[in-house]
Amino acid sequence: MTRVKSKNSAISKIYAILIYVILYFPIAVMILFSFNDSKSMTNFTGFSLRWYRELFNSGKAFEALKYSLLIAVLSALISTVIGTLAAYGIFHMRSKALKRTVQSVTDIPMMNPDIVTGISMLLLFAFIQVIFGLQKSLLGFGTLLIAHITFNVPYVILSVLPKLKQMDKSLVEAALDLGCTPAQSFFKVEFPMITPGIISGAIMAFTLSLDDFVISNFTIGNTFETLPIMIYSMTKREVTPDMNAICSIVFVVIFALLLLSNIFDGSRSAAASITEKLRKNSKVTAIVAGCVAAVLLVGSTLLFIFAPPPAELTLNIYNWGEYISDGSDDSFDVIEGFEEWYEETYGKKVKVNYTTYSSNEDMYNKISSGATEYDIIIPSDYMIAKMASEGMLEKLDFSLIPNYKYINDDLKGLYYDPDECYSVPYTYGVFGIIYNSAKVDEADVEAGWDLMTNPKYSGKILQYNNPRDAFGVAMYAQNLDVNSKDRAVWQQAFDWLAKQKPMVQSYVMDEIYNKMESGEAYISSYYAGDFLFMYENNEDLAFYQPEAVNYFIDAMCITKKPTRDAETYELCNLFINYMLSEEAAVANAEMLCYASPNSLVIENEEYIEYMSDIHEDAMDILYPEGLDFKAKYEQYAYLGLDAETNKLMNSLWSQLKVSAEEDEVEITNYISLGILAVIAGTAVFFFIRKKKRAKYY
Amino acid sequence: MNNEKLIELRSISKSYDGEKVLRSIDLDIHKKEFVTLLGPSGCGKTTTLRIIAGFENPDEGEVIFEGKKINEIPPYKRHINTVFQRYALFPNLNVYENIAFGLRLKKLSDEEIKQRVSEMLALVNLKGFEKRDVTSLSGGQQQRVAIARALINKPEVLLLDEPLGALDLKLRKDMQVELKRMQRQTGITFVYVTHDQEEALSMSDTVVVMANGEIQQIGTPEKIYNEPENAFVADFIGESNIVNGTMIKDYLVSFAGQTFTCEDAGFAPGEPVDVVVRPEDIDIVPVENCMLTGKVTSVTFKGDYYEIIVDIDNFKWMIETTDRVKPGQTIGISIDPYEIQVMKKSEFSGMFGDYSTFSDEMEHLSELPAEDAE
Repeated sequence: MTRVKSKNSAISKIYAILIYVILYFPIAVMILFSFNDSKSMTNFTGFSLRWYRELFNSGKAFEALKYSLLIAVLSALISTVIGTLAAYGIFHMRSKALKRTVQSVTDIPMMNPDIVTGISMLLLFAFIQVIFGLQKSLLGFGTLLIAHITFNVPYVILSVLPKLKQMDKSLVEAALDLGCTPAQSFFKVEFPMITPGIISGAIMAFTLSLDDFVISNFTIGNTFETLPIMIYSMTKREVTPDMNAICSIVFVVIFALLLLSNIFDGSRSAAASITEKLRKNSKVTAIVAGCVAAVLLVGSTLLFIFAPPPAELTLNIYNWGEYISDGSDDSFDVIEGFEEWYEETYGKKVKVNYTTYSSNEDMYNKISSGATEYDIIIPSDYMIAKMASEGMLEKLDFSLIPNYKYINDDLKGLYYDPDECYSVPYTYGVFGIIYNSAKVDEADVEAGWDLMTNPKYSGKILQYNNPRDAFGVAMYAQNLDVNSKDRAVWQQAFDWLAKQKPMVQSYVMDEIYNKMESGEAYISSYYAGDFLFMYENNEDLAFYQPEAVNYFIDAMCITKKPTRDAETYELCNLFINYMLSEEAAVANAEMLCYASPNSLVIENEEYIEYMSDIHEDAMDILYPEGLDFKAKYEQYAYLGLDAETNKLMNSLWSQLKVSAEEDEVEITNYISLGILAVIAGTAVFFFIRKKKRAKYY
Repeated sequence: MNNEKLIELRSISKSYDGEKVLRSIDLDIHKKEFVTLLGPSGCGKTTTLRIIAGFENPDEGEVIFEGKKINEIPPYKRHINTVFQRYALFPNLNVYENIAFGLRLKKLSDEEIKQRVSEMLALVNLKGFEKRDVTSLSGGQQQRVAIARALINKPEVLLLDEPLGALDLKLRKDMQVELKRMQRQTGITFVYVTHDQEEALSMSDTVVVMANGEIQQIGTPEKIYNEPENAFVADFIGESNIVNGTMIKDYLVSFAGQTFTCEDAGFAPGEPVDVVVRPEDIDIVPVENCMLTGKVTSVTFKGDYYEIIVDIDNFKWMIETTDRVKPGQTIGISIDPYEIQVMKKSEFSGMFGDYSTFSDEMEHLSELPAEDAE
């Protein structure tokens, strides 16, 4: 017997260890890399506090964390009060039917997908705005707080209600019997009894609020960002290592809170001894209570203290994540620079609200929903065409943008803005082939796009995991028109991809950085600017630019907004002009590593030196000599596809992906079917057995 | 005990969800009296107690305290304290703070509280337990804390709701003695609820037997035991053989096919009655000079006596005796006139007092408390 037992306990120990390893290994890796000396996500080069230092210096991530914490603390506090009162009310309801109904109604928001809660909140706020005829969008700190309180309250009720139910009812009667009024009995008896539930409810609310992305994304508005939203919009580039640092901090904080909550929940005597100690020493209680109150007061007023004195003007900018020089890495903070410049020049304070998105489509949806208003956006070329045709863009006042003259003429008057009225180019880039020069023969590289179907490197090739780029590669490789509406052309591209498929290691987007930097893959296609990023971590990487490639341009635009006054419109134009000034443009170009359309940048000595430090040929890679950009762009760049072609592309893409993963999918299908069959079989077995037994009752 | 009325219940009725729990209860409780409400589960004794405490409002009737109607006075304004069935100590407070709870509400000085708490701890024999966590105490100790917590407020009345129900037998006996001592020492009126008739008889000045939401009999323990007014009381208090009889005339009753002299009078001649004879009051005598004969069907050893079941004229009698008899043996029995109690027929007639289906276990089951259902 004992032998069996010890065997079992050994197995259960191994099982437990395995589970903990699976759960915590990734976090351990993250924490380890938050102390990494270099930027690499794969090589640990030495211990350093660099990213923590940067975090505290840059302020951007910290600002987001500050808002996240503020929202989490406030929403946890308020929802704890509301939820506790609600639980108390539900518990004391006389009608059992009503009690059940109210309880299930409060449970629903927990089961509701976040996306539903988020959208319905957004609609509600937009609706209120319309009903009261408000000029300004309601979205902001207040709406975010309301949304968080809303989804937190059910969790607080869920954790307080059982404590009330567990409580011996005669305790309240005993209190009344000994002379307590009902109010006194609540505070002296019931409250201490349910305190563990209240505390664990509050902690749960805090953590849920801290990491919420979906609901926040819909209700946050345009004035600030929380940490999850900021991290999510970083997908344009790889997530920077200071995010490891901030996530490590958040993890440690939440871990500590959960430990605390378990102590409170698990041992009533611990809670009791704390309250006992507090009660005994009323001075300490007063001091502690005073401190807590003070911290809360300071916390909630932080916003107003730290926010600059009420600005006379606000400018709402909506940009890609990590797409501006923001003061990190000792760089120049362009937004701050603009605010200072404007105040100096015009004597007025301006507040820039800077928030970020992760894709053109995200940005488009958010703006077309109408709930949030932005002034400046930086979409890509095809999206500008789309938005302009839909009347979503405002014409620029070029008399206020004299720096437009520094923009390379090649990038003016292109298809997306032929009359040069909606946009000013911000950055542009080209894609090409990135390869590992230590593994790939230079002779093979000369083949251009055919390198991507070279069987010699089978299993080491990466392909885009999005249809437009993947088909783009296939079409460039065969000299096809990437904007063709011809079915046959797309079919031909599909065939090329199907042929390539067995050689492809995987279809990736962001993972490309790690796979290329670590040498796991040798060949991939990506943008030149991103190549420079990767090169910093792996100097074996090289860049080859074939003849036929895609070019993209991201340009600054002003959104259409009828309520915008003349002064703000002027401000928008002045901001765009400021972005073209030498200081701002150089800082941005250095931060982004993509090509700059601005001659002030290209001719700037410091910029040339900075880029050459990254890669000796950086300038040649970004700005190839003798390139007729306009001709190339017009010949090769992606245009927006019409609906039908888009549909065709997507269906071919899913066909490719399905066939690529056919075997895998088939196995998964069988396994899922098997599991379903077992579940159904078990259910039927228990049902029949119950019926059979019931016959004998 | 004196004759000054402290609490008067006048025609109290109470229903839960249309089910009558109390039917017009009338009860006087006097100063310094130890009153026990005795009855089986669901008889309404706990409800009566809760009405006195103020946790429940009667549907009809008046609760009068020192001559004033207190129906509308909430519990925290009544000079009444309660010891709860499961003690209801505050788990977040230690022994000292539990006992001091009522005094803290009255905002007494720390010195006075300290003095009175130590008096109370002495009264309930818990000196030195001040700092103990109440959840670490044994059932008996918790019970004492609960009593001290109630008594420290110097109530006019202490209500005790089956306070000893959760204790084991030995401890229960000790606590009975102690409770009685505390009551005498403090001079406070105790209203005690229990389903344990032995507890009721040994502690009370007055026993109130309840069944079906009505009071069956009020009296001293001796009176209740010796002169039960109906079959229910006779059966519930101790063991009883209850047989159908006919009153022939005053002091002469016939049952079991025989005529007996008795001490009861005042019935109509020929009136059907219930006759009670306690098992220990029946003497076993030689068959030659007996009043009744019967056949022994079972013998159970009970330690200091035998409990035997005797079939007399197709009715199973229980007899407690120290004589050794054997199952199957025919014995003769004799009953003295003063051991015969004649009762009027009631709604309970014929329901109790026949031992043909008797077993200790059955009786035990039927006594299991289910007061929560009230």
